[in-house]
Amino acid sequence: MISSILRRSLTGGVQVIPVEQLIGNCSGSRMPDVDSAALTQTLAEKAVLVCPTSALSGASPVGERHLTLDYAECIGCGRCIEVAAPAFFEAKTFAYCGVPRDGLVRRWDISENTEITLAAASPERIERQIRSMLGRALNIRQLDAGSCNGCEAEITALTNPHYDLERFGIHFVASPKHADMLLVTGPVTRNMANAVRATWEAVPSPKLVVAVGACGCSGGIFANASAVAGPVDALLPVDAYIPGCPPTPAMLVTGILALLREANGRRSSPRAVSFREKKNPAVLAANGAPLPVVR
Amino acid sequence: MTTETDQSFAAVADLLRGGARLVAVFGSVDDVSRPIIHYIVDAGDYATFSGPVDASIPSLTRITPAASWHERELHEVYGVVPDGHPDLRPLMVHNIPRTAPTDGLHGTQTDGRPYRFLEVSGVGVCEVPVGPVHAGIIEPGHFRFSVVGDRVIHLELRHFYTHKGTEKLFEGTSVENGVSIAESVSGDNCFAHAAAYCQAVEHAFEIAVSPRAEAIRAVGLELERMVAHVGDFGALCGDVGFNVAAAQASGLKELLLQASAECVGTRYWRGIGTIGGVRRDISAAGARKLAETVSAVNREFAELAHDALGTPSLQDRFEDTGVLQHQVARDFGTVGVVARASGISADIRRDHPSGAYRALNIDVPLHHHGDVLARARVRVDETKTSASLIATLLEPLPQGPLSTFKVDYSRNRESFSTVESPRGELMYWIETRDARIARCHIRSPSFQNWPALPQAVVGNIIADFPLINKSFNLSYSGCDR
Repeated sequence: MISSILRRSLTGGVQVIPVEQLIGNCSGSRMPDVDSAALTQTLAEKAVLVCPTSALSGASPVGERHLTLDYAECIGCGRCIEVAAPAFFEAKTFAYCGVPRDGLVRRWDISENTEITLAAASPERIERQIRSMLGRALNIRQLDAGSCNGCEAEITALTNPHYDLERFGIHFVASPKHADMLLVTGPVTRNMANAVRATWEAVPSPKLVVAVGACGCSGGIFANASAVAGPVDALLPVDAYIPGCPPTPAMLVTGILALLREANGRRSSPRAVSFREKKNPAVLAANGAPLPVVR
Repeated sequence: MTTETDQSFAAVADLLRGGARLVAVFGSVDDVSRPIIHYIVDAGDYATFSGPVDASIPSLTRITPAASWHERELHEVYGVVPDGHPDLRPLMVHNIPRTAPTDGLHGTQTDGRPYRFLEVSGVGVCEVPVGPVHAGIIEPGHFRFSVVGDRVIHLELRHFYTHKGTEKLFEGTSVENGVSIAESVSGDNCFAHAAAYCQAVEHAFEIAVSPRAEAIRAVGLELERMVAHVGDFGALCGDVGFNVAAAQASGLKELLLQASAECVGTRYWRGIGTIGGVRRDISAAGARKLAETVSAVNREFAELAHDALGTPSLQDRFEDTGVLQHQVARDFGTVGVVARASGISADIRRDHPSGAYRALNIDVPLHHHGDVLARARVRVDETKTSASLIATLLEPLPQGPLSTFKVDYSRNRESFSTVESPRGELMYWIETRDARIARCHIRSPSFQNWPALPQAVVGNIIADFPLINKSFNLSYSGCDR
């Protein structure tokens, strides 16, 4: 009985998805993208009108000629794609994971048919950095601040044989006291506010906080709900954001690895120094160059 | 209280005394902000009763404990006092003071004093508080155990930490956008929530759904059930330290999610449900591929489950652990897997079918022992049923449009609908005014089943609690809303 289960594992072949296929992959997330060339005032107005959150804004009949797309607020409902194709389409790749809050906002000048800001790193750039990030360890404590459990379902998937987050040396830990990073999901409900703060305080410094999902990033569909205190950054200092409703496991991997690279890249910043102080083998290589090992 | 309400209450009480199952008790307000009380009872067919109330109503909790949380919520939200209710401590709004952290995690009572848990005293009795933040990737909730040694002699739940004011959020939203809120009530059952909400609206406005859309919906619901059951079975194995089986099950669950993403562009069927139908079609090739994956996963899962359940060390942990007696399960009006593992044959797909289920024969697996093993077995059996239903539905999908467009929502309507979600009977009740949702009440299966959990835990050792809790696998967010 038990032997046949073990045999199945040993003969079942490798299921793990290569990291190159995960970074920037957003298949199944329903995140929208915009084709600047096809963007017209009419299509932009239509899309803004149907957006159930305020992820899409600008473009109004009174003459606003800009379109703003805030991925933090996008719940991937697909209504914009329905009414404003081909200007709106489902994103094929997605680099807006593990970035600062303003890195989630994109803007277009409709009359010029151009995108105005390009804050986030492109998937190609992230790909080049993968090698330098492997071999590090990070302890994550997931904290549900009031989510619908959609994000939890996808975070749990990170430990399955297909994503196997442990291959990067990243572990989920049971206690905040063992954690380097808090992965916070959900809008922070009023009932959870104190518990969220207490958990954050229990994580030893230096610590990273990542807001996950549309609700964690902006409140999402619950932004105006009566018993919600606000998005994660209303209560905690957030280092990076991973949008999506929920973000797919590939987006979570992209975001966590991007943030690690970012945290290690800031050599002179206090955070990078404090990592070294903590003797955390996770972050020994900054920009690919190994830091001196402190014993 | 009016005669109408008096009669309603008497009728409901009679039905419940005669063995009918309480589905929901909830409130709404009429045009002049006067509270209305609604009762829904399942006596073979659903029966609904309602009437205006002033300050108080007689409590149903004395007749059936299943009414307890419903009436506490009614009391808290509408200020209506259920006369004779034994416990009117607040349920949902904790009134967390804005003071120093770690202070007041559990909120206050109506009188402003700190929330009081039932105190169990005696020689050797210890209290073990657990939560709201738990050691794992799970939702928040508080459990207060009273133990003697390892033995649990009392367990009290303090939930609603994920209470977001979801029902309030529905109020004033457009009928169409309500789907997006419904999808975010309980994320892992999001399609069941979307379907229940859409059906309630369709029922209210007499909207016809094409056979094709109905079939696609049923495929989504069955796939959601498979994903939940395969995942839960794996998690149960994980909870007894059988990590190899847990890993295999999580791999199989992932295959189903990837097949969904490939077939309809979303892993958990978010954004698919819409009023009058569905928003994504399944192509002939897509259907073939999905059917292949489902059948392969079903085959492998059946083998895995057979081998795992035949492993003595797993049997030792599952058997006789967390027994929910048949009568207790009945008294608490439990639904879904929990009910079917305690010998209650109830399944909305068979008993109150809607959509494609009207034309399908549903095999309802039944186990009688009420322990962790019985709940695991129900999940294994239902996975098989769901896989064969998906095969039937996809071969071939009927023809027809995906959805009905241009519905006139201007008339004011109220209606409700139920769906058999992976956790059991899920009910949405909606009322519209001027093409907007005026009130939406969600009775999730978790809300109904949570109060029964302590009954299964008492008498077990505290170390078995995670396993028993997992075997129920209730949603916190679905319950807390």
